[in-house]
Amino acid sequence: MGEQHNPDGADRSRRSILKGGAAIALQGTLGMAAPAVLAAGRTIEMPFENGQRELVAFPQKRPLILLTSRPPQLETPFEVFREGAITPNDAFFVRYHWSGIPTNIDPAKYRLKIDGHVANAMELSLRELRKIADPVDLVAVNQCSGNSRGFFDPRVNGGQLGNGAMGNARWTGIPLRALLEKAGVKAGAVQVSFDGLDRSPLETGPDFVKALTMDHAMDGEVMLAWAMNGKDLPFLNGYPLRLVVPGHYGTYWVKHLSHIQLLDKPFDGFWMNAAYRIPANDCACVPPGSAPTSTVPIGRFNVRSFITSHMQDSIVPMGQQVVVKGIAFDGGHGIQEVAFSDDGGGSWRAASLGKDLGRYSFREWSIAFRPARKGTYDLRVRAKSRSGEVQPLTANWNPAGYMRNVVESTRVIVR
Amino acid sequence: MKRHQMLSILAAVAASVATSTAIALEIKLPQETAMYKPSSLPGYALALQNCMTCHSAQYVATQPTSSSRQYWEATVKKMKKPFGAPLKDEDIPVIVDYLVKTYGAERAEAAPSAARK
Repeated sequence: MGEQHNPDGADRSRRSILKGGAAIALQGTLGMAAPAVLAAGRTIEMPFENGQRELVAFPQKRPLILLTSRPPQLETPFEVFREGAITPNDAFFVRYHWSGIPTNIDPAKYRLKIDGHVANAMELSLRELRKIADPVDLVAVNQCSGNSRGFFDPRVNGGQLGNGAMGNARWTGIPLRALLEKAGVKAGAVQVSFDGLDRSPLETGPDFVKALTMDHAMDGEVMLAWAMNGKDLPFLNGYPLRLVVPGHYGTYWVKHLSHIQLLDKPFDGFWMNAAYRIPANDCACVPPGSAPTSTVPIGRFNVRSFITSHMQDSIVPMGQQVVVKGIAFDGGHGIQEVAFSDDGGGSWRAASLGKDLGRYSFREWSIAFRPARKGTYDLRVRAKSRSGEVQPLTANWNPAGYMRNVVESTRVIVR
Repeated sequence: MKRHQMLSILAAVAASVATSTAIALEIKLPQETAMYKPSSLPGYALALQNCMTCHSAQYVATQPTSSSRQYWEATVKKMKKPFGAPLKDEDIPVIVDYLVKTYGAERAEAAPSAARK
């Protein structure tokens, strides 16, 4: 078929809708031509079998780890997390499900529709949406459900990600609750569904639509966000409007948000009922290789922590003090404590926590490390949330490769 | 409405829309380079015809090479239903055969796949 070199083909019809009407003088583009050097670009070897990846710069992005081109799926190189608690917009990971993604959006013509079980169905421009409530800011981690899937043992199929399908940003928008109140939720509404402009390429597959319970949608924390770290959302992160669901996996953070529907019965679409489901138990896990007997939709993040100052096989000078640094986060309780071990988990001591940017944010931590002998050291960190949740010492397993949060090990070499 | 009035209104609307810009945003995605591995197996041409319609080749190429025939069969069937790919039923086993022998557990060069850690 002639379409194989035409990744834009699938969204042509929708683009013409988005661009429809008289061309106005405000039209402009980023003017980003496809870089010609990509084929000969850099590569990176992820630390699991069959892990060779290209590093490719997509629009508004620095070179990122290319998981798939169509649709774009980009992972943040782990070194980026060394830059600080906030992940730069141009390094923030990208994940789509269908290749029918928009490539041209005019914010002046963009409309968000809200309908279903409401008193006042509406179509709002971005300008009208912004007038509904005072803008709010929230620093929150977004993390792919399958972040770190490539490390599952035994391996599981799906997007073979390292640890870089996560990021932390300051989101600006209005509370979803304000919009729902304006629309007038009718009695009997139980769920809210969210759809964006992305479509399956032939429009034959189940549209990517996600749903939240009514209580969750009305919690005042779920946001309709237009800005990220003080700038418009990057296109590939959902420009011009996305859902922000603090503490919850990225699957709910619908991009290019275009339609919100109030439902008087639970949403029954594929992306809630068949995909993104986890074993219905406390660890979201089953014995490796087995299948769960019952599942529920994935929800909040479990607690995680990472060393960011040192990568695997970093060299550390003997007898000198270095500072080991990193990040920790959980699903919204906040981080209570980060314990550090330089002997593979034999002994632990408490790291110092950095500035608190909010309970949904990465929390930086640091600790002094002065190795007294030459050789290899197995550095580990283990975070505990304010709810008392701690990272497991051995990895939990589930067949979809979701929610990995085992205590990570970083080997450094002391010379 | 006169043209200059309309333009000034549009400009006012646009100015209040976004923090930094109020122009249409258009992106051009980088050229897709990943290709299916050529093979004399009949499923190769079918993979080019069918799979490339909807997604790039990395979806296949990045899976663990230990992936079984059972996995590839379930995945190709999933592409037809529920994902809606217009696959002919008789083509499915041919595509599966290509995938598992080219990318999966039945590769000619498949050694016991000890995952590097």
